[in-house]
Amino acid sequence: MNIALLTSEIAVLVLGLLIIIFDVLIPRQETHRSLGYIAACGVLAILVHSMTQYGAAATVYQGLFVVDNLALFFKQLFLAATFLTLLFSVEYVEKWIQNSGEFYALLLFALLGMMVMASANDLITMFIGMELMAIVFYALVGFELRSKKSSEAGMKYLMLGAASSAIMLYGMSWVYGFTGSLVLSQIAVKATASPAMLLGMGLMLAGLCFKLSIVPFHMWAPDVYEGAPTPITAMLAMGSKAAAFAVLIRVFLIAFSDLQEYWATIVSLLAAASMIVGIVVAIWQTNIKRMLAYSSIAQAGYILSGLLAGNVAGVKGMLFYAVLYMFATAGAFAVSTAVKNHNGSDEIEGFSGLAQKSPLLAVVMTISLLSMAGLPPMAGFVGKLYLFTAIADKGYLWLVILGFVMSMISVYYYMLVVKTMYSKARDQQEFVVRGSLQVVAVISLLASLFIGIYPGPLAKLANFAAQALW
Amino acid sequence: MIGLAHFLTVAAMVFAIGLYGLLTKRTVVGILMSIELMLNAVNINLIAFSRFITPDVLTGQVFVIFTIAVAAAEVAIGLAMVFRVYRDRNTVHAARLNEMRW
Amino acid sequence: MNEWAYTAAFFIFAAVTVASAVGVVTKNDLVHSSLLLALCFVGVSGLYVLLQADFLAAVQLLVYNGAIAIVFVLGTMLTRRSIRHGTNHSEADAPSRLIGLISGLFVAVTLGVIATTPWNYSSAGAVQDTPAVLGRLILTDYMIAMEVAAVLLLAAMIGAIVLAKGVDEE
Repeated sequence: MNIALLTSEIAVLVLGLLIIIFDVLIPRQETHRSLGYIAACGVLAILVHSMTQYGAAATVYQGLFVVDNLALFFKQLFLAATFLTLLFSVEYVEKWIQNSGEFYALLLFALLGMMVMASANDLITMFIGMELMAIVFYALVGFELRSKKSSEAGMKYLMLGAASSAIMLYGMSWVYGFTGSLVLSQIAVKATASPAMLLGMGLMLAGLCFKLSIVPFHMWAPDVYEGAPTPITAMLAMGSKAAAFAVLIRVFLIAFSDLQEYWATIVSLLAAASMIVGIVVAIWQTNIKRMLAYSSIAQAGYILSGLLAGNVAGVKGMLFYAVLYMFATAGAFAVSTAVKNHNGSDEIEGFSGLAQKSPLLAVVMTISLLSMAGLPPMAGFVGKLYLFTAIADKGYLWLVILGFVMSMISVYYYMLVVKTMYSKARDQQEFVVRGSLQVVAVISLLASLFIGIYPGPLAKLANFAAQALW
Repeated sequence: MIGLAHFLTVAAMVFAIGLYGLLTKRTVVGILMSIELMLNAVNINLIAFSRFITPDVLTGQVFVIFTIAVAAAEVAIGLAMVFRVYRDRNTVHAARLNEMRW
Repeated sequence: MNEWAYTAAFFIFAAVTVASAVGVVTKNDLVHSSLLLALCFVGVSGLYVLLQADFLAAVQLLVYNGAIAIVFVLGTMLTRRSIRHGTNHSEADAPSRLIGLISGLFVAVTLGVIATTPWNYSSAGAVQDTPAVLGRLILTDYMIAMEVAAVLLLAAMIGAIVLAKGVDEE
């Protein structure tokens, strides 16, 4: 057993604990800002360190924890998402959150939960990682202590989240009962299409779809996204969703791979429903966070469709899309954060005149939204292309056509936001943007364009990671 | 003879009762209690399977230890949140959490 | 234990569990509900004893009755405004019959699943010394899950303190 495989997880945990200690030690007026930067630097260092782990395909603790390229790919995605979130949230936290030290520490603990989920090879480890992430997010969603919306969102997220994990656990218990094992590879050996197995699989799918906010388990997403502090909304969209996909890929393509004929139809219907509901309902939203919530429901539908291919190409498409969605979301939420810091509101109206006040942020927002919509030459176009070619090969042509039609419709409401930004400014207040937020905006802008124009390197990496499963 | 099926039946009933409470209760605390019932049903299931399917390895029982820990953490956060909501608006009725549309 | 006593004990514990669970969701008073919840936990721990999970039966009593049920009672008392009467009404406009029907249907489906699944029963004897075996498993194979659970409890504690303490009015 090689404990070195666990270094990134241990480092994240230590970083979280250090933040708590620093929060007590550093004099009050300096804590707010410096803690965020310490956390961001630490996460960046761990991200760089994790590059060295590629190529390893090892397990520790009796195969219950696997460190392969797929796990590593997801971990780097989570680390990058956390790094970007930390950078653009410093000013937001200073302004709206009272307990900044605890805020950053909990965010790092959530990151740890996601990393454990990506590596989990048995249901216990997977469950405990998922609960670490979920419970931390319940608390963080309600962390904006002065806002009523925040506590309401936290309460709703907690009630629905706890209920969904109870349902998922009940499903796991049936799978365990039928196969007599909790390890994914052993479940795969013993899985046959018995009633208990199908019941367990269905309940687990329902529980996971809740985390992914797939229709019809999406009801919580708009309210929670709206009420939560903006950095947490961003993490829910980028991190929590990707972590649930990491689990979904492992569970359905390893443990339940022989039962694909049973889950494929349901998954295709869920994906289609998410695309339709997410995009159609988003048109009527006036709050930017609610709109992005519906958009994230639709994006989850797109990513989910890749599972149907059930091969390297499908998983590669999912991984590729998860990364480009992460960059687009980081850009969109960084700009929303800047606007909220400026005028204290999340309404789309508040974006009017952004193009005059801060041309850079307006461009970043435009590119991010168009990348989500999937217009060339932005990254989203290539991502959708990979996903659609993978599932079209398997005969899901109707889903591909639906996906294309829906992504054309989505251009409409994304353009509404763009139109607002390029309209005349309502007020002449000066727009101040913190440097770190601009860094995130520029990173997101460059990534969305670079991945769109040169998809090669990322596609190669995603392909490399996807091969770890077969 | 009492066997696996009997225990699973009890668990299924408790789970369904929890589900019923989850969908009908009006207060947040009542909903949290219903969720605890569902988690207990899961634990009965796991231990019954552990006893009848894999009696020589205790994986099911290990799982139960973790679900109990998670349940305790969930209740702690849940009740803390209840206090906050109560202080904000003097009610713990789920239906009055309506600042935003559901 | 002879078979007759085992059967009788099972039905007593099962009846206590199910009856008090029904009480939890139908009582209109939160304090009654929480006490019935505690009773339900006792019934469940009786079932654990019958399944030869004696250590977990003790844990169930300690954690669920000693901590969770008490926290619920505390929560109820700290958040009730006037009298405790009528604090746990069911949703007035909720179609409780329909929901009851759905729950009944769920039980029926599950019973069908239990009856039709070919279970792989094992004839091996149960582990006798469960605490020692559990302890060894948790500290070897399930080490990572254990460490993560520890972080989870720490995080839950921090989160709960911050949320319950509320805004610092300086």
